[in-house]
Amino acid sequence: MSGSVEPAAELAGVFKRRGAVLALAGISLALAPGKVTALLGPNGAGKSTAVGLLIGRLAPDRGLARLMGRDPRDPAARETLGVMLQQAGAPRGLAVAEIVDLFRGYYPGPRPRGEVVALAGLEGLERRRCQALSGGQQRRVQFALALCGRPDLLILDEPTTGMDADARRALWTAVRSEAARGAAVLLTTHHLDEAEALADRVVVIDRGRIIADAPPHAIKASVAAGAVRCRTGLADAELAALTGVTAVTREGGRAVLLTSAPQQTVRELLVRDQTLQDLSVSTATLEDALGRLVGVEGRDQPLEPAA
Amino acid sequence: MTACTRTLSIYAREARAQLLATMRQPQFLLPTLILPVMFYALFGVAFARGRAEPAHWLLATYAVFAALGPGMFGFGAGVAAERESGQLELKRASPMPNGAYVAGKLAAGMALSALALLPIYAVALAVGVSMPAWRWAAVLALGSASAAPFGLIGLNLGLRLSAQGAVAAANLLFMAFGMLGGLWIPLSQLPPWMTRLAWMLPSFHLGQLSLGLAGVLPPTDVAAHLGILSGVCIIAVVGAWSAWRREEA
Repeated sequence: MSGSVEPAAELAGVFKRRGAVLALAGISLALAPGKVTALLGPNGAGKSTAVGLLIGRLAPDRGLARLMGRDPRDPAARETLGVMLQQAGAPRGLAVAEIVDLFRGYYPGPRPRGEVVALAGLEGLERRRCQALSGGQQRRVQFALALCGRPDLLILDEPTTGMDADARRALWTAVRSEAARGAAVLLTTHHLDEAEALADRVVVIDRGRIIADAPPHAIKASVAAGAVRCRTGLADAELAALTGVTAVTREGGRAVLLTSAPQQTVRELLVRDQTLQDLSVSTATLEDALGRLVGVEGRDQPLEPAA
Repeated sequence: MTACTRTLSIYAREARAQLLATMRQPQFLLPTLILPVMFYALFGVAFARGRAEPAHWLLATYAVFAALGPGMFGFGAGVAAERESGQLELKRASPMPNGAYVAGKLAAGMALSALALLPIYAVALAVGVSMPAWRWAAVLALGSASAAPFGLIGLNLGLRLSAQGAVAAANLLFMAFGMLGGLWIPLSQLPPWMTRLAWMLPSFHLGQLSLGLAGVLPPTDVAAHLGILSGVCIIAVVGAWSAWRREEA
């Protein structure tokens, strides 16, 4: 653990079984104030179990879950928590201002309603019934409810699903300002550009274990310096043998080569395949890196990024 | 504000929000506020040709019937819908005290039951039902309190069944409690085989207590009625508590 700052939230050595599956197999994760942490991993990796423990819905089989040093299952401990859940419908029959006021009432020192409404981009919608709002607007209401208590830990589970591009950018701005205020933010998302844009730290979990924990750029760099895409007649095994190549995948009809030496790789590729088409070279994206990390090879040799 | 008054104000806001939300949803409002007075006008007045005596009898049982809608639909169908849509999950992740959700719903259910009874009282007065003022008040109080046992039973449906399943079960219990418990028409008017279950139904015991308070029947077996109702409530609370805790294990 770096520094002496007390974490806003912590999972320490947590094991949790869900039915027949060991959903978390010894996870330790401390969320520092002012930092945005993206929790990534394939479906079923254990992300929602980790969230369930931090919001007090689940109890660990072994290990500890803590919010500002307290058990999240104690309602008073959750006064430091703001949550936006993945699946949460609009409360029927209540107007935006009414549901916001109801949630503000749960906290000892709530934000003024105007501030909550402005942060979530709901100006002008205060008098509207929640069920009459669009899907994206309803997600913004959920975001507003997460902000009511001026939380020390803000958990956002797939926050921008169903939002248009403008609403997404507005939410990103609000998340950054919450982190700047000193809140720890835990973000789970399938939009990797979102993690790349917001996160100070990316934690990748797979099969209940943390397989990578580093800043986004370090995760990308650990896997490859670049990605080469092309249409080629060469087999995967031949491609993997090229200099610098760390992984070969297919995207539709194109091969994607992650490589630590893009120039070298391209030079050899052009010599070996005279019929090569649609060649492009790019910096590896977080998506490229993750595909590699949770891919079959990645499982056997989890990478320790040099951060 | 001290922690205690803040907790109380959370309970009050929760009740107010529940009441507002229910009043604005026609699918809850119809069985809750309209059906009881319609049935009362039909069975208590039209079928009885406007005689005060049957209207008096059924006033007592319809006071209990008025609490059945909020209990079955507000709790049964309502909680299941909030659970399925993720709203209950969100509230449970908030610092809202566990009791506030149920207490708020109970208070709203009692208020709605009392509200549903007002038009029934108006009809009863119009056809000449007369009893001392304290009896009117006592029947109103019992009717509104009936929302608690019905609500606790409904809570078990809401926490255990899917939204669709809960609506079906709520409808079934609504009819069974109303009909077989002798709330719609007196049990003496039903074929005997239909009355055998009555002692097992909380609606029957509430109805009997209400008939006693309305001065229609002499108050007999009061301890037995109260005992059985307490038992039903305890079982329902334990059942709801275990369903509530199930996922925290």
